Amino acid sequence: MEILRIDQLSKTYGSGETKVEALKEASFSVSRGEFVSIVGQSGAGKSTLLHLIGGLDTPTAGRVIIDGMDIYTLLEEELAVFRRRSIGFIFQAYNLVPELNVEENMVLPLLLDYKKPDGRFIDELLDILGLTDRKHHLPGQLSGGQQQRVAIGRALATRPTMILADEPTGNLDSKNSREVMNLLRLSVERFNQTLLMITHNQNYATLADRVFQVEDGLVRELGGQ
Amino acid sequence: MNHYLALVPKYLAAHRKKTRLVIISVAISVALITGVFSMLDVFFQFEKIQVIHDYGNYHIAVLDASEQETQTINSRIDVQNSGTWRTLGSARLNGVTCELGALDQQFAGNLNVELIQGHYPTDRNEIMLEQWAAQSRQLNLVIGDHVQLSFPDGLEKEFRVSGLYRDLGVMKAQGIPGVFLSVNGTHDLQRAEKSIFLIEFKNGVNIRKAEQEIKADLGITEDRIDRNNHLLALMGQSDHNAVLDFYKVGAVLFALVLIAGVLMIYNTFNISVMERVRQFGMLRCIGTSQTQIKKLVRREGLAITLRAIPIGVLAGMVMTLICCAILKYYNHSLFGTIPLLNFSLVGISAGIGIGFLTVLIASFLPARKAARVSPINAVTGSNEIKTPDQKKPGWLMRRFKVEIAMGINNAWQTRRTFWLMASSIAISIILFMGFQVFVDFLYTGLKTTKPYTPDLSLTSAQGLPSDLSARLGNVEGVDRVYGRMFAHVEATFEADKLTDSYKESINRIETKENGLLVPLERSWLISYDKQQMKWARSDLIDGVFTEEQLNQNQGIIAVALNQRNNASTETANWQVGDKVYLETRDGTKEFTVVGVLRSVPFNDSEFNLATFITSEKLFTEITGQNAYDCLDLQISGQNQEKTVQGIKSLLSEDITFLDARQRNAEVNQAFITMAVFIYGFLAVIALISIINIFNTMSTSVVAKTRYLGLMRAIGMSWRQLCRMVLAESATYSLTGSVIGCFLGVVLQRFLINSWLVSFHVLWHFPLGQLIGIAIFISVITVLSVIGPLKKTKKMAVAEVVQAF
Repeated sequence: MEILRIDQLSKTYGSGETKVEALKEASFSVSRGEFVSIVGQSGAGKSTLLHLIGGLDTPTAGRVIIDGMDIYTLLEEELAVFRRRSIGFIFQAYNLVPELNVEENMVLPLLLDYKKPDGRFIDELLDILGLTDRKHHLPGQLSGGQQQRVAIGRALATRPTMILADEPTGNLDSKNSREVMNLLRLSVERFNQTLLMITHNQNYATLADRVFQVEDGLVRELGGQ
Repeated sequence: MNHYLALVPKYLAAHRKKTRLVIISVAISVALITGVFSMLDVFFQFEKIQVIHDYGNYHIAVLDASEQETQTINSRIDVQNSGTWRTLGSARLNGVTCELGALDQQFAGNLNVELIQGHYPTDRNEIMLEQWAAQSRQLNLVIGDHVQLSFPDGLEKEFRVSGLYRDLGVMKAQGIPGVFLSVNGTHDLQRAEKSIFLIEFKNGVNIRKAEQEIKADLGITEDRIDRNNHLLALMGQSDHNAVLDFYKVGAVLFALVLIAGVLMIYNTFNISVMERVRQFGMLRCIGTSQTQIKKLVRREGLAITLRAIPIGVLAGMVMTLICCAILKYYNHSLFGTIPLLNFSLVGISAGIGIGFLTVLIASFLPARKAARVSPINAVTGSNEIKTPDQKKPGWLMRRFKVEIAMGINNAWQTRRTFWLMASSIAISIILFMGFQVFVDFLYTGLKTTKPYTPDLSLTSAQGLPSDLSARLGNVEGVDRVYGRMFAHVEATFEADKLTDSYKESINRIETKENGLLVPLERSWLISYDKQQMKWARSDLIDGVFTEEQLNQNQGIIAVALNQRNNASTETANWQVGDKVYLETRDGTKEFTVVGVLRSVPFNDSEFNLATFITSEKLFTEITGQNAYDCLDLQISGQNQEKTVQGIKSLLSEDITFLDARQRNAEVNQAFITMAVFIYGFLAVIALISIINIFNTMSTSVVAKTRYLGLMRAIGMSWRQLCRMVLAESATYSLTGSVIGCFLGVVLQRFLINSWLVSFHVLWHFPLGQLIGIAIFISVITVLSVIGPLKKTKKMAVAEVVQAF
C-alpha cells in the first residue's frame, strides 16, 4: 500500500548566475512499512529532498503526496498539524529542547497536539530505547547516543506514518551508531512505520529495503535488499 | 508536564541569567512609568498644600459682591466655604503705618490667617495684629492694650487688641504690620477700598461650569471675577493660557515616558526572541504551529511581566517615597499631614496597566516574528550566526583594524536590533533633555531666592548715612552689605517700543514729531554696585551688564518685566541699542540700552513707565543723589538674633528695619517643593537610562556568547575580541547619542519656544548637557560590556561554542 508519492518534485535556489537546481523532477513512491535509505555526496540534494517530503521547505514544482494528501495544498497551520501527527523527524544534531527532560522531550509533540500522552506507550518506548533510567535527565546530561535515542523516541511518540531521519548516526561513534540503527529498524518493524533515512554509511544503507541515490539533484533507485 | 505551554516556565528557569536580564528590563520600564506618574500624583498633593499656603484656599473670587450675591452663592450645594475679605488701605497704628483688612472668621483658615493668642476680632472696636508687629520696638503691644488708629482723612478711632496672629512673611519683610478689624467694624468705618468675596468649592466640582452658572444666574460680569489660577492649575481646572501651555509641556514629556517604556520592553523581547531563532525552528519542525509559537512567546511575556511588574511598581514607589521623605523632613510643619508611604493609585495603576499593555504590544511583533521562523533553520542552523550579506564591510576593513571593522559591521548587520538599541539610547537622552526644560523653568519661571536676596533691609526717606554701610560691615555675623539708590525720573523713548497691553491701559499715547513718546508717567531708576551687577548677570536676556560698559557708553540696563505698582508688567519691548532720553540735572541726555534684564527683585508702588538700572556714578550724575535709599544685608546662619540686635543698635529712629528672612524661607520652601520633584523626575530618568543602556548592552553580549566563542576558536585574541565587542557597542551608543542629542535639542527648543516663553524661559544651546551626556554614555558603554565579557573569558572556548 502506497504511503508516499513524489511527483516531478523540483527545487531551485536563487536565480540567474547563482541559480542552483537542488532537486530535478524527482518521482518515486514508497509503501507503508518500507525502510528507504537515501545516499549521495554532500550537496547532492539529499537533505533538500527530505525537507520537501517533511514539509519543511516549499518545492519549486511538483507534488508530495503522503497518505493520499498533497501536503503543499495545505495551509501553513494545517501543514504544522499534519507534520506533528504524521511525520517524525530525527536530525543529525538531535535538536532536543535543552530545558526539557527526556520524557518531556518525547511527549512534546503530543502536547502540541493537545493530546494526553499514553503513559504506557511512552514507558514502552523508553524501555525499547533503553532510557527508562534516564527519563528525568536533561539532554545536557546525556551522551550523544542517548540524545539521539531521545530524538528517536520523540519521533515515534505520536505514532507517525512516516519517519524522516537526516544522518541520524552522523554524530555518533560506531558502537552508538549500530545501536541507533538497530533501534530504528526495530521500532519501524514493531510499529509498522515507514522510514526514510539519509546516510553516508554504506553498511547502514544496505540494511534498507530500498536505496535511492541522489546525484546533482537527480534521484535514482539503486535497488535494495 | 501536561501542556506544551509548560515549556515557558521551564525555559525561564533554565536560563536564569537571561530571564533575570529580561525581568530587569521590564521592571525598570514599569518603575519608570510608576515612578514618574506616582511622583506626579504626589507632586500635585504637595504642591496643592504649598499653593494653598502661598496663595490661599479659594478657587474663585467675586469683587464687590452684594449681600444678595453672597447669600445666593453661599446657598449653593457645591460651595464648601466662602467669606468676604475687605481691604481698607493704609492707616497709622500708634503712629506706625499699617495695612488694614477684615476677613470673615470662618474663612480665616482658608487664607492661612492663624490666631495664636487671644481671640478673633468680633466687636466693632477690636483688632488683631501680627505677632512681630506687636513685639516691635515701635508698637510693643499685648492683648487688651488700647491703640489709636489714624486714617488718612483725619479720622481717629480707638481699638482694643483682641488677638495676635502668625506673622505673614511678605508684610514682615516690608515692615508694614497687617491689622485685622472685625467685619462689623468695617461697616462702621464705611471706607472699604476693595471687597472680595472668596469661594472654595467642594471636591470634584466642575469649577469652570460652576463659575459660569454663578455669572449667568447673578449677572456678574467677567471683570468682577478673579481666580486662584495657581490652585486651579493644579486641579486641572484652569483655562489660563500660560497654565495650558505648561500642561502641554507636561503632556508631551509624559507621553515620551510612555513611549520610552514601550520601546524598552519591546527591545528586550525582540532581542530575547531573535537569539532563539533555532529553538523556534526546531519546535516548528516537530509540528508546532505558528499560533502555538505566538502563544509560547506571549506566555513568556506574561510570565516575565508577572514577575517584573511587582518589582517595578515597588521600585517606583520607593522613588516616590524618597521624594516624600525629603519634603516631609525639610518642611514638616507644612507637609506633616501627608503620609510618608504614599500609595499613588494613579502611578501604580499606570505602571501595572501600561506594563501589561506594553508587554502585550511589545511581545506581539516578536511573537509574529518567531512564528515566521522557518523550520529549516533548526535543521541547517543557517540563521544562527549571521553571515555578512551582499554589502561586505570592505571600506570598513580598509579604514579600521579587522576586529573594529567586524564590530561595526556586526552592529550594522542586524538592522532591526541596531535601530532598537540606538533608539533605546536615543529616547533616554531625549527624555532627559526634555525634562531639563522644567529645571530651566524652575530657576527662571518660579520666583525664588537668588544670591542677591537680602535677609535684612534698611531704608530711610532722608537717605542713609554714607558711613553706615562700612559700620554695618563690621558687625559680627554680617556677611555682605550692599546699597542702592532709587529715583523716579522723566524718561522718554520711541513710542513704538511700548507694548500693546501698556497702550491699552493708558488709553491715550502722545508722541512728538520725532516719534518719541510724551511720557505720562515717570520711570524708575535704580543704581547697582559691582557686586549686584555680577549677581544680576544670570538674569540678563541680552547685552552686557558691567560697570565699565555702563560708564563708558552712557549706558543703562532696561528691565523687561517692569515692576509697576507692585505688579510685573511688560510696558516696552526692549532691545540692546535702544535710545532712552533722561531728564538730568544738566538737561536731557541720551542713554543707550546696553543690556536687557529679565526682572528686578524689588517692587515699585508707583505707576511707572519703565524700570532702568545704571551704575552709581551715572545715577549720581543724573539725579545728583549720592546717599543710599536702601541698604541690604546678608547675615550668616548662626546667632542671627545677636547679629540683628547688633545691627539695630547702629540705627537711628528714622531708619526702617525690614526683616525678610521669613518671606525668603517661604519662597525657598515653594521652590524646594517643586525642585524635589523636578530633580526627582530627572534622577529617575537618568537612573533608568543607565540601567537600560547597561542592560541592553549586556543582553547584546550575552546573546552573542556562542559567536564570540567561535571567534576565539578561529584565533581571535582576547584583546581583539574586547575591541570588537566595544566597537559594536560604541556603534550603537554613538548612533543613539547623535540621534538622541539632536532630537533632544530640537525638543527642548520646541518646548521652550512654543510654550514656556510666557514664563521668560530662554532657550540656549545646551552645550554643557551635551558634553555631559557624551561622557556619561561613553563610560556606561564601556562599563556595560566589561562584565559580560569577563564572564565569557572565564568559559572555555568549547563550552562557549556549545552554550546554546
